[in-house]
Amino acid sequence: MWEFLVRSLDASTIFTIAALGELIGQRSGVLNVGVEGVMLFGATLGFIVAQTTGSYLLGFLVGIAVGGLLGLLHAFFSITLGVDQVVSGMGIWILGFGLTAYIGSPYTGPLGMERIPSSLGFSPFFIPGIVLVVITWFLLSKTSLGLRIRSVGENPSVAEVSGINVANTRYLCVVVSGMLMGFAGAIYSLDYNPVWNYNFTSGWGFIALALVFFSMWNPLTLLAGSVLFGILWQFSLNPQLVLPGVLSRYIWRTLPFAITLGALLLMSTRWFRARWGAAKPEALGLPYEKE
Amino acid sequence: MRIGSHALKLEKRFTLTGWQAVMSSILAIFIALALFSIIFLIAGINPLFAYQEIFSYAFANPFGSPLTINRFIFLLLCTYAFIIPYRAGLWNIGMTGQLYAGAMGVFAIVVAFGGREFNATLSPGLLIPLMLISSLIAGALLGSIAGYMKGRFNVNEIVVTMMLNFITFWLVSFLIKEGGPFMRSGGEGDGFELPSSIFAPMIIGVPFTIFIALGLALLLYYMFAKTRIGYQIRAYGLKPAAARYAGISTVMIPLLVFMMGGALAGLAGYHYFAAVPGLYKIPVNYGYFGDLAFYGIICGLISLGNPLMAIPVTLLFGGLSVGGRFVQGKLHMSYGVDYALLGVLMITLVAFQFFYRYKILWVKTKKESLDVGIPG
Repeated sequence: MWEFLVRSLDASTIFTIAALGELIGQRSGVLNVGVEGVMLFGATLGFIVAQTTGSYLLGFLVGIAVGGLLGLLHAFFSITLGVDQVVSGMGIWILGFGLTAYIGSPYTGPLGMERIPSSLGFSPFFIPGIVLVVITWFLLSKTSLGLRIRSVGENPSVAEVSGINVANTRYLCVVVSGMLMGFAGAIYSLDYNPVWNYNFTSGWGFIALALVFFSMWNPLTLLAGSVLFGILWQFSLNPQLVLPGVLSRYIWRTLPFAITLGALLLMSTRWFRARWGAAKPEALGLPYEKE
Repeated sequence: MRIGSHALKLEKRFTLTGWQAVMSSILAIFIALALFSIIFLIAGINPLFAYQEIFSYAFANPFGSPLTINRFIFLLLCTYAFIIPYRAGLWNIGMTGQLYAGAMGVFAIVVAFGGREFNATLSPGLLIPLMLISSLIAGALLGSIAGYMKGRFNVNEIVVTMMLNFITFWLVSFLIKEGGPFMRSGGEGDGFELPSSIFAPMIIGVPFTIFIALGLALLLYYMFAKTRIGYQIRAYGLKPAAARYAGISTVMIPLLVFMMGGALAGLAGYHYFAAVPGLYKIPVNYGYFGDLAFYGIICGLISLGNPLMAIPVTLLFGGLSVGGRFVQGKLHMSYGVDYALLGVLMITLVAFQFFYRYKILWVKTKKESLDVGIPG
């Protein structure tokens, strides 16, 4: 049971970091539905580099860098070219899904390196993940940079006239957001489950995207949601640990997705929106063109 | 940007003529294929040779061409599943799940009529129509979840359809693996095979579903161009709020487009798992067919939501995906050439979304001179 819980928290760490990236981008008004694609890229390239060089550090750095590059690509499409953010995000997801299946296939199989030592039984990224959440929360709600980010996410034209460079601020957020997603992917493939297989994130990125909606764009709520989904995910992988012999294990695999649907539905009801609906960044998903 | 006395200028487009649309789509395809050559170059293969192999296998080979035709029918149906909601401004990326749902519907009918028994003889005149209807209904039901949630509660349809993809993926696993109700006895994770009495009828070696797929192109074109419902879908796609003021139900339209799209993706499930020769079952690698369905997104975007234009586009990509798989084996490339093509195509198309909105002009700039009021 203890092991199950630890493993769940390892999973939540990945959800937390990926979703935190998405949250930062969304607070600046840019939606990236391609989280899964960025994670796949970070995971695959991080895995390949770590395996060929034998260095975990390089693997993680490459994962973060490729995430940043994809963030830059998304920023270029959606901010500079003004392409619909959903279209651009879908493009990044399918690019990641398609290319990593090809690039990674010669590396299919286990990483074959000594596991990263755990700290206090937990994944070494568990504490840094929490620290990142707190830093992001502090940055967004207590600093002038945070105010800038939030204002371009809420009302870019007003932000522009008050002297904030909307495009630069959004670029910064989207690139950082991509770096975090790439990092989350690398944690998956180098620490959580160091075996490469095609499309192995199988839904992590989309759950992370949904988690941002659930969090009402608040990093601290996001952390709670990630812990919940980490446990749920781990349970769906190993239902026999908790409920042996009940239903097929394949049925349990649908559980996190079904619960996501239910939660999305609940959040979209009038009752819910009347109470907490104001949290959504006003300009989310809208391309901003300077007059 | 200014170069000498000329300058590059961006101009916003307000309308795109049919001809311009076709030209920019063709250009997008060429650029994507040029970009894709890089993958061949990295693998140390001459891209021209690779493309020649791909096209000759896909379109002029007795083994490849039937595969291309079957892939074409499948992709065309998946493309409709994307196009119909796309015309209403909605993104259906759930064709994967909807086609699994269609396949489950088909095999559920077969099981209900005792088709799991070895050598069962069933009446094709009764069973085949029932299987078709069942695939349509199952796909539509799955689609309706996303449509209803979008229309009634404004839930992001991308997340919903993706979640449904994963849910149905695992449901199919449940059905065909580890003693599931559709598992082949003694099989290793395969679904059971259809009895030969209810194989889909073939016309000169091509499943009859091709006529449904091609006929639907005309029907959908007519629906969007001439009918009231087609007009309402397009109006909703342009501006949902304005459509509501015009008396168009903002709950009905999303529900309807997702049901129609889902039904056609369900039909694609019937086609691939019950009408393609050599398969006639839900195979253990059904996930591959689900992934292929994502080509529907690309084909739908390239054909700009036009069902008639989708025909040549899906034929091309059906051939490319079949040929890509072939050269991968022949030229000893690593697995997943067709996946890589999918990715490269998609990102090129995203960049092209820009050219649908802007055109780049090469204009002669006026000579800058100090205007002192003296003409000259």
